[in-house]
Amino acid sequence: MGTLLGLFISLGKQSSKAWLRIPSAIYVELFRGTPMLVQILLIHFAVIPSIWEVFFPGQSSPEAIYSGMIALSLNAAAYIAEIFRAGIQSIDPGQMEAARSLGMTKGMAMRLIVIPQAFTRMLPALGNEFISLLKDSSLTAVIATPELNYAAMSVAKSTLERYPPYLTEAAVYLVLTLFLSRIVVRGLEKKYSTK
Amino acid sequence: MKMKKKWLTSLVLTVGVGLLVSACGTGGNQASSGSGTAGGGTAEKVYVVGTDAAYPPFQMLEADNKITGHDIDVLNAIAEAGGFKVEWKNTGWDPLFDGLDRGTVDIGISSITITEERKKKYDFSEPYFEANQLILVAEDSPVNKLDDLKGKKIGVQGATTGGEVVKKAFGDTYQGLKEYDDMPSAVDDFFNGRVDAVVGDNGVIQYYVKKIKDKKFKLIKDDSFEKEYYGIMVKKGNTEILNKINDGLKKIKENGKLQEIYNQYFNKE
Repeated sequence: MGTLLGLFISLGKQSSKAWLRIPSAIYVELFRGTPMLVQILLIHFAVIPSIWEVFFPGQSSPEAIYSGMIALSLNAAAYIAEIFRAGIQSIDPGQMEAARSLGMTKGMAMRLIVIPQAFTRMLPALGNEFISLLKDSSLTAVIATPELNYAAMSVAKSTLERYPPYLTEAAVYLVLTLFLSRIVVRGLEKKYSTK
Repeated sequence: MKMKKKWLTSLVLTVGVGLLVSACGTGGNQASSGSGTAGGGTAEKVYVVGTDAAYPPFQMLEADNKITGHDIDVLNAIAEAGGFKVEWKNTGWDPLFDGLDRGTVDIGISSITITEERKKKYDFSEPYFEANQLILVAEDSPVNKLDDLKGKKIGVQGATTGGEVVKKAFGDTYQGLKEYDDMPSAVDDFFNGRVDAVVGDNGVIQYYVKKIKDKKFKLIKDDSFEKEYYGIMVKKGNTEILNKINDGLKKIKENGKLQEIYNQYFNKE
C-alpha cells in the first residue's frame, strides 16, 4: 500500500504541473519530518475518530490495528517516494528522450522504460525501508495494537521480568528482518540483476 | 526548490511547537492552594517531599513547573495541621523510593498503595485515600458486574490494578484485554467505540469523566474488587516525622479538610 502511494507521490513530485508537485512535496516533508510515534497517536486518537464522527455517526471507530496500518503506510509512502525519485532520477535522461523519439507518450516511456530500470537500482534502498518499517511497527504498541511489542510489554509489566520478554521480542524481530534481508531482498536483487 | 523546502520545514516546526504549547496549556486548570506555609519556629527543619507528578488529578505538573493535585493539597494541609514545613520535589517514581533510602527525600506521597511488600521496606502513615476499581460502560449497557464483561473488549492502563483484576477474572491471556499506556487513552478509545468498557482506579476515572460530562456513560462499582489504600511513605524507622504526619492527618480528617479537598477534585458519588 505504501509502495503504491509512494510511487504516485514520487511521480507527482517530479511532475511539471504545480498542482501535483506542491502537494506531493508537502506530503513528503510532513510525514518524513514528524515522528512516527506522533503520527500514530494523531491518527488513532484524533483523525480517525473525527472522520468516523462525520461520515459514520454512531458507529464504532475501527480498531487499533487499522490505525496502525494506515499510519505506517502513510509514513512509509513518504520515504518510498524519495527512494523512487532517487531511482528514477538516476536513469540517464537520454533513455526518456530515446523512448519519446520512438513515439512513446511520456507515461508509456515512464512505465515501460524508466521505472523497470530504476526498480533494479532501488531494490537495496527499498529493502532497507521494508526492514525499518517492520521494526517501526513495534511503535503501534502504544495504541494497544495486538502485536509483538505490545505482547512483550504486557508480559514485562505483569511479571516484572524485563530480560525474557524483551530479548524474546528482539530475537523474533531479528529472525524476521534476517529473513527479509537475506532471502527476500537478496533474492529479488538476484532476479532483477542486470549483470 | 531549496527555499521551498526550508519554508516547509519551518512550517512543520511551527505547527509542532504550537501543538506542544497548546498541549501544555490544557494540562490543568486547578490552581494550587498555598504551599505549607504555616508552622512553628523558624529554626524548624524543612522536610523534603518527593512525588511523581504524572498522575492527575493526584499529582501533576502545571505549565509553570508547579506541582499541584489532590495529594499535594492533602500533604500541605497535613503539614499545616501537624505544624511542620515541607518543600516539594518532583522526583519521579523510582527515584522517589531511592531518595527515601538515601535520605535525600523525607516524605513520599504519590498515590502509593499500601502493600505488604512495601511495608517491609518503608513505614506508611494512616491511609488518606481509599481506591477501588470502577467499570466504565455505555449508559444503556446491561453490564452491572465484572463477570458480565466476559467476551467483551476491556481497556485498562497497563501494570495497574485494573489490568490485574481483569486478568484474574478472565485469565492472563484474555483476548479482549487492551492495555494502554495511560488511562486517558483507554477512556478515549471507549468513547471512540473501540473498547466496550474500561476498568481502572476510581480517582483517575472519576476525574477524567468529570471533564467530559456531556458524553453518555455510567460507572459501576463491583464490590468483589479489593479495596486499596493510599498512604504517605517515610523511611523505615523514621517515627518522628511519621507521628507528625499521622497527627496532622487525624486533624484534617476530623475537621473535614480532607473531605473538602476530595470534593474539590472528584464528583461525589
